[in-house]
Amino acid sequence: MWKLLKTNFIIEKTSKKNIFAFLFVALFVFGLAIYMENEDVGNLVIKKTSEFQNLESAVSQFQVMDATKEGGSSEIYQNIVQQKRLVALQRAATNMNRPDMFVDTAIDLAKLRDEAFKLDGYEEVAVYLPTQTQNVLETLFYDHLKELEFPIFTDSLSFYQFLIFLFGILGSVWFVFLALFTSGIMIDDFRHTSLIKGYPIPFDQYVTAKGISTMLIIVVFILELFLCSLPLIYLRGLGDASYPIAVFDGNYEIYSIAQYIGVCLLYMFCIGIFVILLSIILNVLLKNMYLTLFVQLFLYAFPILYPRIISLLPFNPFNYMNFANLLSGKSLDLPHPVELDITFGLLSIVISIVLMGIVIKLFLTTGKLRRV
Amino acid sequence: MWAYFKFELTQFIRNKKNIAVYVILLFLACFYAFEMAPSYKPIERVDAREIESRYLVREAFLSEFRDNPDRFSGMAGFGLAIYPEWNRLEKDRLDALNTGDYIKYSEATSGWYVYSNNFTYNSDFFSYSPGYYSHGNLYAEDDGYYGYLYSASRYKGYAEGKSELSLNVFEERTALQTVQRLLESYLPLILMIGCIFLTVDIVLKDRLNPTILKGFPISDWKKVVVKGFVALIGSIGMVLPLSIGLIFIGINYGFGDFNLPVPIYTLGEDVAIFLKGDFVNIPMGHYLLENFMLIALIFIFLISLILLSSMVIKNEFANLVVGAVFITNEVFYFKRGIGYWHEVELYPTNYVQVGQILSGYRNYIYGSSQLILNNGLIVMGISSLVLVVFIFIISKIKRYKLI
Repeated sequence: MWKLLKTNFIIEKTSKKNIFAFLFVALFVFGLAIYMENEDVGNLVIKKTSEFQNLESAVSQFQVMDATKEGGSSEIYQNIVQQKRLVALQRAATNMNRPDMFVDTAIDLAKLRDEAFKLDGYEEVAVYLPTQTQNVLETLFYDHLKELEFPIFTDSLSFYQFLIFLFGILGSVWFVFLALFTSGIMIDDFRHTSLIKGYPIPFDQYVTAKGISTMLIIVVFILELFLCSLPLIYLRGLGDASYPIAVFDGNYEIYSIAQYIGVCLLYMFCIGIFVILLSIILNVLLKNMYLTLFVQLFLYAFPILYPRIISLLPFNPFNYMNFANLLSGKSLDLPHPVELDITFGLLSIVISIVLMGIVIKLFLTTGKLRRV
Repeated sequence: MWAYFKFELTQFIRNKKNIAVYVILLFLACFYAFEMAPSYKPIERVDAREIESRYLVREAFLSEFRDNPDRFSGMAGFGLAIYPEWNRLEKDRLDALNTGDYIKYSEATSGWYVYSNNFTYNSDFFSYSPGYYSHGNLYAEDDGYYGYLYSASRYKGYAEGKSELSLNVFEERTALQTVQRLLESYLPLILMIGCIFLTVDIVLKDRLNPTILKGFPISDWKKVVVKGFVALIGSIGMVLPLSIGLIFIGINYGFGDFNLPVPIYTLGEDVAIFLKGDFVNIPMGHYLLENFMLIALIFIFLISLILLSSMVIKNEFANLVVGAVFITNEVFYFKRGIGYWHEVELYPTNYVQVGQILSGYRNYIYGSSQLILNNGLIVMGISSLVLVVFIFIISKIKRYKLI
C-alpha cells in the first residue's frame, strides 16, 4: 500500500492537471486581493454613503412630513428618518476618526432597525434595509466590539481580515472547484491501461490509494490558499486573529477569526472527501468525466434554483456545501426560512460520506467497480 | 478532408458530454422562461398610480404658492420654477396612458426622463427611481443617470412609431428585448462557458483510440482546422436550445420586432452635460447582428486558444483553466473609470461582456470611448490570427505529434 502511494505521488507530482490546478488557486487568491484593493472593499465611508442613499430613497417613498414624535407622521417614517440621521453620524465618525462614536451609533442604529421590522408598512421599504438576520448579526458584533474594546477601523486587506473575505468567497466556489478537479478521478489513469496493468496489486487497494492521494492534493490546495495570502502580512500587516465575527451556527454567536477559519477548514476537508467519493461513484455509473461533473453541479445548483427544496429536505447534504452562506445565516432570509445548523450540516455530510463508502465497498465486492 | 469533417461532426454530435451541454442549456432556457422571466421587475415600470401620486403632490404645492410667486425665494422658488414643466410632462404621460395612446405616452415619457435627469443627477433634493438604490449599490447615482437617459432614448425611438407598442414593450419583456437584456448580463458568459466545454476534448479525445485515426491520410494542420470548424458549428448550434426558451417567452409576452430601438451610449466629440456621453438608437435587428458577429469572433478566438493549449499542454483540465482565465481575467484590472487612463480597448479579455460592449455600458463604466464594435473585431481578429499562426507553426514541426 505504502509503495503504491509513493508511486502515485510520483505520478501526481508531474501531472499537468495538478500543476494547472495549483496555478489556478494561486491566481484566484491574487485576483481576489487585487479585486479588493481596486473596489476598496471594506471602506466604511463608501459603505455608509451608500447606506445613506438607500435610506434617502426609502424616505422618498413617503410624503415629506414632520418627523418628530408630535408631528403626526407614521412610525416607520419616523424610524427611517432617525436611521438616516444615525448613518450620517457614522459617516462623520469615520471621517473624524472617532471609533467610540461609531460603535455607539451602530448599536443605536441596529436597535432602531430591530424596531422597524415590527412596524406597519415595513415591506414597502424592505429592499433599502438590511435583512433581519443581518441586523441581528450586526447588533451582536457591535455589542461585542464595545464590550471588549476591539478597534473598529481595521485594514480589510491585512492578513486575517483578508482570510475572512477569502473564505467567504470560497464557500460558493469550493465545491465547484473540487467537482471540476476530481470529476475524472477514476478515468484519467485508465487512458493508459498499460501503465496500470503493470501494477501487481488488487484493484480495491488502487482505488483507496487514488482516493488518499487526491485528498492529500486537496489538503495542499488548502495550504496554498494560506501560502498565497502570506505576502499580505508584509504588505498590509498581520491583523488580529481574535477579532470577532458574528455568525449563525444554529444560534447567533460570536466567533473569533481563528474559530471561523477553523469551522471553514473542517467543512472544506469534509467536502473534499465527499466530492471524491461522489466522483468515484458517478464515474462508475456514468463512465464519463464531464457527465460526472454536470451531475455534481446539478445536484449542487438544485437547492439554489429551487429554494423551497431546502425547507422540504433539510438533511440534504447539498444544502450545506456553501459554508460561508451557512455561517452568515442566509437560509433564514429565504422566502421559506429554515434554520440550517452547522453541526447538523457536518453530520449530514459525514453520514453521506459513510454511506458512499459503503456503496463503493459494495461496488468492489460485486465487481461493479472495474477499470473503466 | 470532407470525409474527415463528416467523421468529426458525427463524433461531436454523438459525444455524451456535448449532448449534456445542449440539454443543460435547454434546461436553463426553460428555467428562465418559466421561473425567472415572470418575476422580472424592471426598475422603470409603467405605473399610472406612481405617476399620479407624484403629479398630485407637486400640484398641491403649486396651487398653494402659484398665486404669488415673487414672495418666495430659495427652495420654494426653485420648486416654483421647475415644477410646472415637470407636471405638464407628468400630466401628458398620465392622460396618454389612460387613453391608451402609446405614441403620445412615449413622447411625453422621453421628455420626462431627460427633464427629470437634469434635476436629479448630483442633486441633494431629488433621487432616481428607488430601484437603483437597492441595498449595497455604491454607484446608484451613476446607474440612475444611465438608466434615465437610456429610457429617454428608448421612448424617443418608440415615439417614431416604427414598431407595434404595448406595455410589455415598454417594460422590455418581449422575447427579443429579453435577449437584449440578457446579452448585457450573463448570456455571453454562459455561451462562452458552453463553447469551452464543447471544445475542451475535441483534440484530446483522439488519444483514446489512436488506431482509428491512422486511417485518414490527412495532415495534422488540416485535422486541427477541421476540428476547430466543427467546434465552431457546435458552439453556434447552442443558439438552438436557447431559442426554445425564447419561444416560450414570446408566447407569453410577445416577440417584439427587429425595428425596436436599442439605445447605444456613445461619448462623441460634443460631450453632453455632466461630462458624459449621449444615447443614439439603433434598430434591434442591427444590434443583434452586431452581437452575433462579435460573439462568433470570440468563439473563434476561444476555440483557437483551446486548440493551441490542447496541442501544447495536452491536458483537459488545463484547457478548462486556460479558458476560465480568459473569461474571468477582467477582475484583475477592472475599476470604474479606469478606461480614461488606460487603453483597455486593446485587451482581448475586455470584450467578454459582448452586450455591454455594444450597448456602450462598458464605455460608460470604464470612462472610455473606444470599446466599440470595430475595435472589438480588430482586436479579437488579430488575436485569433496570432493563435492560428502558432497552431500552424506547431503542427508543421516534424517532431510534433497531434495525439
